[in-house]
Formats: sequence, structure tokens, C-alpha cells
Amino acid sequence: MPTTVEDKSNRLDMTRQGGRMIASYWDDLFTAREQGKQIVWYNGGALNPIFQAAGLAWCHGEAFAARLAAQRMEGPAQLAGAEYGYNAELCSYSRTHLGCAVLTVQGSQSGVVGMNDQAELAAKLPAPDFFVNNYAGCSTGQQWDGISYRVFGKELPLFNVSHPFLWGNQPDAGYLRGEEWESASRYVRDQLRDLITWLEERTGRPFDWDLLSESMTYIKRAAELRREGLELCKQKPAPATFWDWIACVAPINFLPGDQALVDYFQGVRDEIKGRIDAGVSGVRNERYRLYFDGIMNWNKLGFLSRKFAEYDAAVLCGRYIHNAFWQEPQLIDPDDPLMGMAQHYLLCPTNHGSKTLDYLTLRDCAEYDVDGIVFHSTRTCRAFTGPQRLLARSAQQTLGIPSAFFEGDVADASFYKDEILESRIVTMLEAIDVRRERAAI
Amino acid sequence: MSRFLGVDLGSTTAKAVVVDETGAIAGTSTVQMGAVSRTGMTRAVTEALAAAGLEEADLAGTVSTGYGRKLVPGADRTFTEITCHARGTAAMCPGVRLVIDIGGQDSKAIAVDAEGLVEDFAMNDRCAGGTGRFYDVLARALEVDLGELGELALRGGQDLEVSTMCATFAETEVVSLLAQGLPTADIAASVHRAVAGRTLALVAQVGRRAPVVMTGGVARNPAAVRFLADALRCEVTVPEQPQITGAYGAALLAMEAAGRGPRVPAEPADAPLRPVPHGDAGHSCADCDGTVVRLGAAIPVRGRLSRR
Repeated sequence: MPTTVEDKSNRLDMTRQGGRMIASYWDDLFTAREQGKQIVWYNGGALNPIFQAAGLAWCHGEAFAARLAAQRMEGPAQLAGAEYGYNAELCSYSRTHLGCAVLTVQGSQSGVVGMNDQAELAAKLPAPDFFVNNYAGCSTGQQWDGISYRVFGKELPLFNVSHPFLWGNQPDAGYLRGEEWESASRYVRDQLRDLITWLEERTGRPFDWDLLSESMTYIKRAAELRREGLELCKQKPAPATFWDWIACVAPINFLPGDQALVDYFQGVRDEIKGRIDAGVSGVRNERYRLYFDGIMNWNKLGFLSRKFAEYDAAVLCGRYIHNAFWQEPQLIDPDDPLMGMAQHYLLCPTNHGSKTLDYLTLRDCAEYDVDGIVFHSTRTCRAFTGPQRLLARSAQQTLGIPSAFFEGDVADASFYKDEILESRIVTMLEAIDVRRERAAI
Repeated sequence: MSRFLGVDLGSTTAKAVVVDETGAIAGTSTVQMGAVSRTGMTRAVTEALAAAGLEEADLAGTVSTGYGRKLVPGADRTFTEITCHARGTAAMCPGVRLVIDIGGQDSKAIAVDAEGLVEDFAMNDRCAGGTGRFYDVLARALEVDLGELGELALRGGQDLEVSTMCATFAETEVVSLLAQGLPTADIAASVHRAVAGRTLALVAQVGRRAPVVMTGGVARNPAAVRFLADALRCEVTVPEQPQITGAYGAALLAMEAAGRGPRVPAEPADAPLRPVPHGDAGHSCADCDGTVVRLGAAIPVRGRLSRR
């Protein structure tokens, strides 16, 4: 049973507006077929600007799974997936989305008493006309669309964009540099060209390159504003937290590149700046500053934001926010956007070798002056959790920062337990307290 | 002289320790109980106070720990069991760098620094494999008393394949081995060996280091200690009362919160564990000559070590 906690968090008002934009997006997608649009289901990196320019409606599989989990409506989809044969050890994003596919094929029928409304929501996704996979650093991601392809009778076309893993082991290799980076960027960019040709064949119309440039102009500006907002959160006390940025993931990840997207992130950035000017913080009585490593536990977003705030802990930064989602806007050339897009797909936080991950994590821990790291050991996402012990050890040895691990999952609440999280957090904060007391002597 | 109380309300036992303002143990109690039992906790506190010749009104501070730490009435402050086990063990066994605590339903590996503070820790998550609960199931399946399980395992020689550490399926696993006509001592030894391997994986998360001290109820099982020492390839030390280290640490934290008592002395990493002065409450020291060892300044930490 969830623990009731006092709410000392102070979430950004703008995230409510983001919530309305996202709800509107999904409502629009649910009726895409009636609007006469072709529909693409895709996973992995944000291909939506290409789909936008191709005149398609797009459904990002992880995003819909995360939305169901955040609304605690993932149950029927996961049951449908389990009935189809996907067990609980499979990535819960994919399990949920595959369950949606099963329910979409079946219609909204569900044998689970009391879950009809939820099942109906899960089954609302319009069936795809084709699939595009764009997953980096995750083998499940590529198999996922391969399975979806089978759920729909092996009759729908499937395009897979392949991403080399960025090992970062060559002498000249580093973050955004070296021959490995350059050659991988070209390799993915060339596949994006092939994808566009493939989409032209599927849609029967020429691709709108001008619209792609326009969309990427907006996305680049939105990404710049997002980075500005993230920078502002280095202030002490921090004006906003990691949880606010989690609420901003959906807009930057899959909403259309347009003025509304820019306006949204301008609003987020301005609200944060306004808080700094007014001396308002994201957590009442900020006493601890933390880094969060792991994909979001979507079932628990609100709870975690309150839980950490209860202990005066401001979670400020993390791999999932700072190292994902158009995080390097300077790479985007709106006049020739494919290279910058390819590079962002390669920059998926599961696609780096440990050397680069170590660099990025320690960089952010130092810049945000964090006191500790919380690792969400995501049960069904081993691509994300694999290097976590290395990162914890490195942070301890290099920066003297302690860590705490808790088990959970992206979209399956059964892997999470409040008591485990609580004991881990409190122990780490106690260790931080003792170190501070010792340093003060 | 002021007295301080530490209470560890765990999953299957309640422990209470009273210390004086120098940190010396004045009274202890360990009570077996149901899950997070208030009755068991009350009894433990009453008994510990009686052993110290005190009443509740005599206490100058109380700290609680364990799963039920928020249920302890009168506690001035709560700490997690990790912090308390580290603090208590470091006081009982100066110089310790790795604490392996295996209780009723969880197991922990705690790396402590030279001053006895938590440096890193790892816990089992949602699995009772290798915990006290697991050994309960094993003893029942082998039809031996829990207190005899360790001795039985020490007599086993053959290394059998044990494929599960799940407390739920352990019984099935053991039944399967028994059905093959295999000796119970070999089965017990093999399961203990497998558990030690699992604990080794937990230790790997914080990094192997020495000296190692094992605490918690499972530390009273000699086979669990022996196989763990084999797996770690180093000596594993067990305090005389391995179950009370959390409560003892809580009592010391209550004492320190009042600005009393010494800090844990800093010890070099390679310093051997040594017996330390005994308290007035007394202990039965079968393998200890009671030598008083001064650790830097005269540190009146009381207790003793028994090496297995």
C-alpha cells in the first residue's frame, strides 16, 4: 500500500499546460484513421519530425506505455500481453505496448472485470499502416517492433534504423568527437535518407523537406530553451526539479515541431527564471541535492516527487533528462537537419560505453553540486541498469558521492516497493548528514 | 550517570540495548516475536531496562531502528538499520570495514569507513533467499531444529547442485534432493554453500574488504559463517551477541545525540580485530582472556569478539 506523505514539493505550473497538450495529442491520434491519415508506430529515437513532414500520424510505443503507467491504466494491456505470451521479465514498455497491439487487434474486449474502461483506452490506438524502429543501445527495442509485426499478421511493412553502439574505446574517441562518432553519424544519417525514400513509397507522395526544416527549427529552439531551463536549475536552492523535467519529456519527445512547442518551453524556462527572481524553490527547505539515474518509474512519478521532497531532497538532474531528448541542440542544422537528427538518435543514454557514461554522470554531478546519487535499478531495462554499479563506484571514488539503489520498473508497479525505496534513501541521507557533521568539526 | 536506549524492531525479533554515557552496555534483550510486534518490542524494552536496573524515566534518550522503527513510542529519533548496524558493529569490533548482516527477512552488505560510518551498502530486494526465513524453511524440510541446522551442514562433504535460492521453492528443491536419497548433511552443506555464493554477490556490490564482521540472527549459524568465510576467502568475525548490533548502534546514536560518549576510533584498514574492555554488565567469554586493549586513548567501548 502506498505511503501517505506530506507534500513539500512545488511543481511547475507549466507542466499542467504540458499535460493538456499531451492529452490533446493522443485524442487526435485516436481519431487519425477517421481523419484519413496513415499511421506509423515507431519506437526509440524521436523520428516524429520526419513523420510530420511525411504527413503521417505517429504513435511512439514507449510514450503510450508510459502514459498508461502514469495513469495507472497499464494493467489490461499487460494482461493482454501476458495472455499472448509475453512474460513479466520482458521490458514493460514493450510488454504494455504489445498488449495494446493485441487489444487493438481484438477490439476493446477484455475478460478482466472492472477494467473495461482501461482496456478501452489501451485499445484506442489506431492500427498502424507500418512500423519504423529507431532503437539505439537496446536489443529488445528492435525485437519489439518485430513482434508487433507478427501481432498484425506479418502484413505490414517494417523499416529498421540500425545504430552502432558508441563504445568510446578508440584513442580519439570521446563525447561528440572522434572517428567512431563521425562514422556512426554518417551511417545513421544515410539510413534516414533511405527511410524517407521508403516513406515516399508507402505514402505515394513526395517528402516535404521544407516542412522538415521548419519543424526542426522549432524543435531546435524548444531544445535550446529546455537547456536554458536546465542550466537555471543549478541555482541553490533549485527552482525546479528532475520531476518537473520528467513531466516535460513527452512534449520534447514526440509533440509536433511547431510554435506551440516553442511557446511551451519558453513558458517553462520563464517560470523557472521567475522563481529564481522571487526566491521560490522546487522543494521546500532544500537540504540535499541528488542525481537520479534510471528511466522513470512512471507509475510513481507524483509519489516520488513528494517522497524525496518529504526528506528535503531536491532531485536535480539525471541521465534520462540531461542526456536524452534533443539535448545537444547545437548539433541541429535546420537547413540540413538529417545529420543532427542522426546524432541525437545515437546519443540515446543506453548507447554509450562506460567511459562516456562516466564522463557525463560525473560532469552533471559536479555541475549541479549534488550530494548523492539515487539509482533506479529498472527491473526490465537492463540496458539502462547494466553500467549503474560502475557509475556508483566512480562517483564514490572520484567525487566522494554516496549512492543508493532501489528496484522498480518503467511501467510495472509490481517490481517496486515503498519500504525498499524509503530505507535506501534515508540511509543515504543519514550518511550525508554524518559526513557534513564530520566536515564541520 | 545518564542512560540511553536503542530499540531495533525487526521483522522477526525485537532487540533493546541500554548504554551508559560512556557507551558501555548496561542491559540487553532479544525477543522472538511475530512480524513487527509491538508486544515483543515492549517486552524487549522492559527486559533491557530491568537488566540495567533502570526504569523508563531514567532514560536520557531513545533511538529506534529496524522495519518497525516508527512504531516505537518515546523514540526521540529514528535511524535506518544500515546506519545503526554499522555504528554498533564498529563499536563492538573496532576496525571493521565490512559488515554482513543477515536478519529474518533481509540481508545487507555494509562497507564502513575507518570511523565506522556507512560508506556504501547493498541489500537484497524483493527476495528472502539466504535470509533467516530461508533457513527456517530449510530446517523444516530437513526435519531438524533450526539450532542444529548449522552443525548438520558442517558435517556435509559433497557439493550438490542447488538451483534455486528462492525461500518459497527451497522446500521443493530440498524434497527433490531427498527423493534422490542424498545425505541430509550434504544437502544442508550444499544449500549453505549456495547461500554464501549469493551473499558474495551482494558483497561485490559494495566491494570486498576486510576485516569482515557478520551480524544478525543468521550469524549464530556456524555453517553460514564458515561457508561465507570460505566464499570470501578471509576470516569472518562474529560478535558475542550478533543480533543486537543494530539496537546497540541505535543506543550509541542516542548517546551521541546528547553530546555524550566517545566517537568510534579511527583504525587503519589492516588493523587486526582485538578484544576490547568488558563492561560491568559482564559477558561470558568462552574464548576470550579479557585482555584490555587500549585503542589510542582509553576507549571505554565494551563487548568482546569471538572468532570462529
